[in-house]
This record gives sequence, structure tokens and C-alpha cells, in this order.
Amino acid sequence: MTFELELRGITKRYPGVLANDAVDLAVRPAEIHAIVGENGAGKTTLMSLLYGLFPPDEGEIFIRGERVEFSSALDAIAAGLGMVHQSFKLFPTLSVAENVVFRQEPRRRGLIDRSAGVARVSDLADRYGLAVDPEAAVEDLPVGVLQRVEILKALYRDAQVLILDEPTAVLTPQERDQLFEVIRRLREAGRTIIFITHKLGEVMAISDRVTVLRNGRAVADLVTAETDPAEITLHMTGRAVDLDRRAPEHQPDQAVLEVENLTVLGGHGRAVVKDASFQVRSGEIVGIAGVAGNGQSELIEALCGLTEADTGAVTLSGTDITMADVAGRRAAGLAYIPEDRYGVGTIRQASVSENLLIGHHREETVQRRGWFDRGAVARLTRRLVEVFDIKAGSVAGPVSTLSGGNLQKVVVAREMEHGTPLLIAEQPTRGLDIGAIEFVHSQLIRYRDQGGAVLMVSAELSEILALSTRILVMFEGSIVATLDPRTVDEPEIGLYMTGAHLEAAVA
Amino acid sequence: MLERVLNEVGDMSRRAVRSPVTFSLLFAFALAAAIVAVTGGDPLAAGGEMFTGAVTGSGLRNTLGRSVPIIGMALAVSIAFRSGIINLGGEGQMVIGGLAGTIVAIYVPGPGYVIVPLAMLAGAVVGAVWGLLPAYGQTWLRLPILITSLLLNYVARAITGYLVRFQLLDDAVTLTSTRQVPETARMPKMPIFGGVSLSLILVIVLVALLWMVYARSVAGYESQMTGFNMRSARYGGIDVEQRTVQVMVVAGAIGGLIGTHLIIGEALRFIDGELVLAGFAWTGLLVSLLAVNRPIPIFITGMFFSALQIGGLAMQRNAGVSWRLSQVLQAVVIVAVACRLAIRRGERPSTEVSDAESAAVGEV
Repeated sequence: MTFELELRGITKRYPGVLANDAVDLAVRPAEIHAIVGENGAGKTTLMSLLYGLFPPDEGEIFIRGERVEFSSALDAIAAGLGMVHQSFKLFPTLSVAENVVFRQEPRRRGLIDRSAGVARVSDLADRYGLAVDPEAAVEDLPVGVLQRVEILKALYRDAQVLILDEPTAVLTPQERDQLFEVIRRLREAGRTIIFITHKLGEVMAISDRVTVLRNGRAVADLVTAETDPAEITLHMTGRAVDLDRRAPEHQPDQAVLEVENLTVLGGHGRAVVKDASFQVRSGEIVGIAGVAGNGQSELIEALCGLTEADTGAVTLSGTDITMADVAGRRAAGLAYIPEDRYGVGTIRQASVSENLLIGHHREETVQRRGWFDRGAVARLTRRLVEVFDIKAGSVAGPVSTLSGGNLQKVVVAREMEHGTPLLIAEQPTRGLDIGAIEFVHSQLIRYRDQGGAVLMVSAELSEILALSTRILVMFEGSIVATLDPRTVDEPEIGLYMTGAHLEAAVA
Repeated sequence: MLERVLNEVGDMSRRAVRSPVTFSLLFAFALAAAIVAVTGGDPLAAGGEMFTGAVTGSGLRNTLGRSVPIIGMALAVSIAFRSGIINLGGEGQMVIGGLAGTIVAIYVPGPGYVIVPLAMLAGAVVGAVWGLLPAYGQTWLRLPILITSLLLNYVARAITGYLVRFQLLDDAVTLTSTRQVPETARMPKMPIFGGVSLSLILVIVLVALLWMVYARSVAGYESQMTGFNMRSARYGGIDVEQRTVQVMVVAGAIGGLIGTHLIIGEALRFIDGELVLAGFAWTGLLVSLLAVNRPIPIFITGMFFSALQIGGLAMQRNAGVSWRLSQVLQAVVIVAVACRLAIRRGERPSTEVSDAESAAVGEV
């Protein structure tokens, strides 16, 4: 049979890394083909090669049986490929239709025919169920709609093969369902979809076939209906992973962190954290649940000394740190895995080694009277890289070449190395693949079991439920509930997260 | 230690061949040659005069001499840049520190080996204070250093102008100038290449010291990390405000040292407005940018710019080609480097393995 798209023996090398190693990929016409793999497995590199962004070192690409060579994305588009990237490439101030027809505007007497553009875009949108107002300005639209605009761009250029790179990463569950509906319609219309993801639930829900990448190699080509998540996981990680693990029982001890009536004012003097009081005891993980933007980030920043609290008191291991700066709080016994691992947790331009040193750089073990002991620094770096299995070409190389999972390992390794009584972990597994999530979870549990107190913020309820000893729910800046993970389920937490319990109480 | 230095040098020379600087130099020289040819000159002869004028005989001495303020001011601005501080006040720090050093040299009696270091110290302290003002302006009042340091240049000029005109004026000459620095209080010259100021050693020590600080010390690490990403630095417990103050003190002190050197080692009189004419602070700034704020490349680049300026004068004398051509050369090098860097920045994402953004380039 003729494949819609076939890759044979695609190999791409980077200094110190084999990003793609003789990858074969065969995609049949009008199928939804999932490509899964852990972060750093080579998914994005493979798609960039396919899309002509840079050439493979070895290997061939065939489209409908014909060998092709792309020297740029333009060639790939001309051959009927369309790519929807993780981050959108749109002009915020232009309308949806203007963005879609850009560079291929319908013309009349040499001038751009705006109304024809709008008509064609609205036509396309209707045909595939992509609910979009063609005349809306892109900057006013939510993320889910922007993605539809990107899909429209590809369809407008008559893409027969649509590549979606981690399309659900930015979507709410409802938006995700709508996207799946669109994808199914595209398949019915005879288009082929390549769906890159590391979420197994989505693979099972939407795909016809699935290709698994691991360490740059295609290790499995499966029919979705004939496989299950456990098998795919085994291929992805090379080992069996316990997907749903509840934390073992553990008896919490004395209070490590005590927060009393903490209030943080945001812009315009509005309270973003309202009168929050809670404790975190040694040997427990307290999980803070909440819809993003309900004060969790502000609470954590205030606890870490990155912003000032307006009223309230914070005590850490018996020391009042309400007025302390970051260094003072760290010295009092706090380590912090920040939410933004790219902008805060790591320094892009610095090396892996320099990044592992942040916060340790004044310790007696690595420096004397202000001068580093290079041997000690190298030993610290080597040990962390080994213990946490950080995959980096070279510790002297820039940290920016690491995959997301390895970057997070750098942050986790560095912060856990402090061995402080309190560890604050903010969205510790966001954007990570299963193997890395499992790793971070096991590290948090280890920390707890060794008597550490862990304060975790997460948008993933399953994570909150699996790890927490106690659950605090934040809504509009207040802690609205303290729940026991053994007795609540996701829907109930959801009620508190959306403030629905308040309405229920009124009614 | 030596091995590491050699490694660093080897590594640097490898990078140098591929660096945008090399390309820019070739481009600049080609363009300059074309300009000479088009205007009816002989590019080879002009180039030859420029070269011999910069590195032979008294030319070499002048090149080494001029490199002191260029490299010094480049070092001063580089440490600020590395911490992410835009210190445009080098000129003011140099001028006001320079006058302070001059006053000590002229009015404090004593033997040279006491007065010269004392004058340098005075220059450094007053320069440091002048650097401290914008630093506190930023940490206490949230006034951007970029603005305040620049504006303080004019204040420094006005203060020194007033002092020279009304307090320190030498009535014996028609210049608006202080008295001459007495023989004993002058910066000694080393008996090499016909007399090179001892300050060159000071500059070399500074280069080595800064290299050490950034390669080895906690202070250098904290400064560099703050310059890379202030949010991460703060998150890691680095006191960014305190570092800002320290960096500005050191930058100002170096400026003051260089200002003092320029009077007690070169001009011997503080003539009102004279110190800013040569634009050493601004040449230094360009050198630092070109050398991406690294001490050893700054030394090389500063030496090169100095040779370019001295060679330009020789070329004008002997080949009849205006010395301004060397300014053109400087300018072209800078523009070309800036262009190459911009192009590189555009190319880079597509060569990174795991960057999800890699697809950004080449999009329709």
C-alpha cells in the first residue's frame, strides 16, 4: 500500500546527542497517528526535520510514495504538510481572517480582497466545526481559539497532513474535547493527522495508530485498539511504571512552617492572598489545590521572600521569618522548586554546573573566604548529576540544551540537596512526561519520609490526591477548605476550587 | 593554573576564527581600503603606514600608552554590564576621580612613592563615590542607573569646571587649568619602548584580577548570575541590591584610577574639559561590547583599538589619508559585529535539540 507519509532511517545528530536514530515512521492516509515519547525522546526534532526546518543527517522522506527533500518549511507546506506549533505564531493585532490568509491573500485587481478572505475563512471554519469569528482580533481570543486559528491557517494552505505538536498542553478539558471533535471531522474529510503528545489518555482517546519514540529511536508501532496504556508506557520508559500510586501512611510530627493571617496585596491594593493561616508539619506533604490564579503563586512568593506580605506572620522551625529576605529564609531552612523553571528556577545562559550551584554558592563546603573550591564544586555537580540521573551532554555546557524533564531534575536536585526542614514545590511536574513525573513524585515522598515538610502547589488534582497528607483549597485568595485525601474525590475538590460550595451554602 | 590559562587561550583562538569579530574586522578593512582607493589614495600604502605607525618605534609606545585608558574604562563598564547594570557614568567617574587624584598629587607634599599611590587612591575613592550615587538612586529611590549615571557625567564636568576655574586655577598660564603636577608626584615611566607608563602594569593586573574574580569567586559568580537573570539570582538568595552597589563602587573606582592616571601620568595638568575630549569612556564602552565584557578579550580589543587610533594618526602624517579613516574602521567593525550577532540570534533556535520553539523560524 502507499503511505500518506513515510520516513525511513531518519537520523539527526547534535554535538553529544543522537536526537533521532534511524527512525522509521509510516502514516496511512486519513488516520490519526499519535507520536508519543518522553521529553527529550526526539519527537520535536523529528517533526522539525519532517517540516523542513533543518535537514536530517541521514534518511529519506516520502509523501504518497514520492521521495521529497525539503529545504525550508515553505517546501513542506507546498507538499501538503501543515504544522500547529506548541506556541502560536500569530499577529496579535490582526484579525483571525487576516492571520489565516497572510501571504496568500485573495486578490481582486491586484488589491487584497478582505471580504473574500473573511468568507473563505468562515467557510473553512464551518466545514470542520472550528467555531471562530473571522473578524475578531487575535489578541482578544483565548488560547483554545488561537489554536483553531492555527489549524485554519494550515487548512487554508490545503494541508493534507496536519501535524499537531502537543496541542492539548494549553487547553482546558472542554477545549480539548472540542479539539478532538475537530480532529475526527478532519479525518472523515480524508485528512491525515499526526498528533504529538506524552499523555496516554489522549492517545487512547483519539488515535488510530501510535508510534513510540524512546531515546531518539522508534521502538514501537502499534494499533491503538490493540494496545493499552501499560504497554505504551513500557515502550516509552523501557520499564513498568506504577501510574496511580497513593502515598504511604506516615505520621506527621511537629510544625515546621506556621503561617498566621497572611495577607498579600496585589495591584490596585486588592488582596490576592486573604488572611491565610495554616501549618506544615515535618513528615507530611500539604497540597494546595486551586484553579490557577487564585492566589497560590502569590502565597508561595510571599513565603519565599520574593514579594512582601502586608500583614500576618510566618514562622519557620521556630524562627520568625516574616521580615526576612530570600537569603535569610533559605538560611532559616527553606528550599523552593519554583513554578517557572525556565525564567526563575534556572538561568538559561549559564551552564548546568552553574545552575546546580545557585543557592549553594555561599556554603562553606564549596567556597572559602569568597573563592570557590573548584574541586568541591565539581564534586557537588557530579554527585547531583549522578544521583538524579540528569542527562546532560556536559555539565559545562549551557543548561538551555537540556530537555524539560532534565531541566526540572536540575532544579529538584539542587533544592533537595539543601536538606532543609521545609521544601516548597510549585507545579513540580507541569509539562513533564511520565518517567520524569514518577521521578519527582518519588523524590517528594522520599523527602517526606526522611522527616521533611513539603508544601506543594499543583494544578493536577490527581497529583494532589496521590501525594498529599492534607489538601488545602484556595479560591480567590482564601483557603476555603482543608480536606483529607482519603475521604474526598476530584469532583468534591472541584466544587471548592470553583467556589461552588459558597453558592451552595447561600442557597 | 598555567595549563588552564593556556587552555583558555587555545579555546579562545579557535573561537576567534569563527567569531563574528573576525568577519567584521576583515569586512571593515576591506571597506576602508575601498574608501581609500575610491578617493584616489593607495590603500596598501595607507595600511602599511597605519600598521608601522602603530607598532614600531614611538608608535608602539603611544599605542601602549593609549591602551591604558581604553582598556581601563572598558573594564570599568564591563563589570557593570556583566551584572546587568547599564552604567553610562564612566566619564563622570573618571573626570571627578581624576581631579581628586590631581589635587592630592599637587597639594600633598611627600615622596613620590607615597604621593603617587595616595593620588591613585584618592581618585579611586572619589570615583567610587560618584558611582555610588546612581547605585543608591536605584536601590533606594528606584531611579534607573542608566539615566542617573549618564546625567551625573554633566554634573561631574560642572563641578570640576567650577573647581578648576575658581579654586585651583593656575594664573601663570592662559589655559583654564590647574597647576602642573610636580615632578615627584608623577606616574613613573617604565624604561621599555621608550617609556611606557607604569599604569599599564596596573591595567594588566586589573585584567588578571577580574579574570580570576569571574572564574573563581563567589562575588564574580553572583554578579554574572544576576546579569544573566535577575529573578533567578534573587530566587537563589543573592542580594541583588547589595551587588549593584558593590559593582558600581568598583566600576567608579576603576574610572577614578584611570582619570588620575591620565593627569599624573600623561597630561600633567587638569585642563577643564580636556579629559572628556578623547572620549575614552565611550571607546571603552564599545570595546567592552565588542569583547562581550570578558577581561582578556577586552585587553586584546582595547589594544587593537588603541593601535587603530595611533596608526590612524601616523597614516595621516605619512600617507596623507585622514586619521578619521580609523574612526570609520572602528565604527564599521562595531556595526558589522552588531549585525552578525543579530543574525546569529535569529539562527540559533533552530539548532537546539529540545527547544519546542525551534519551529519558530521559517514559518509562513
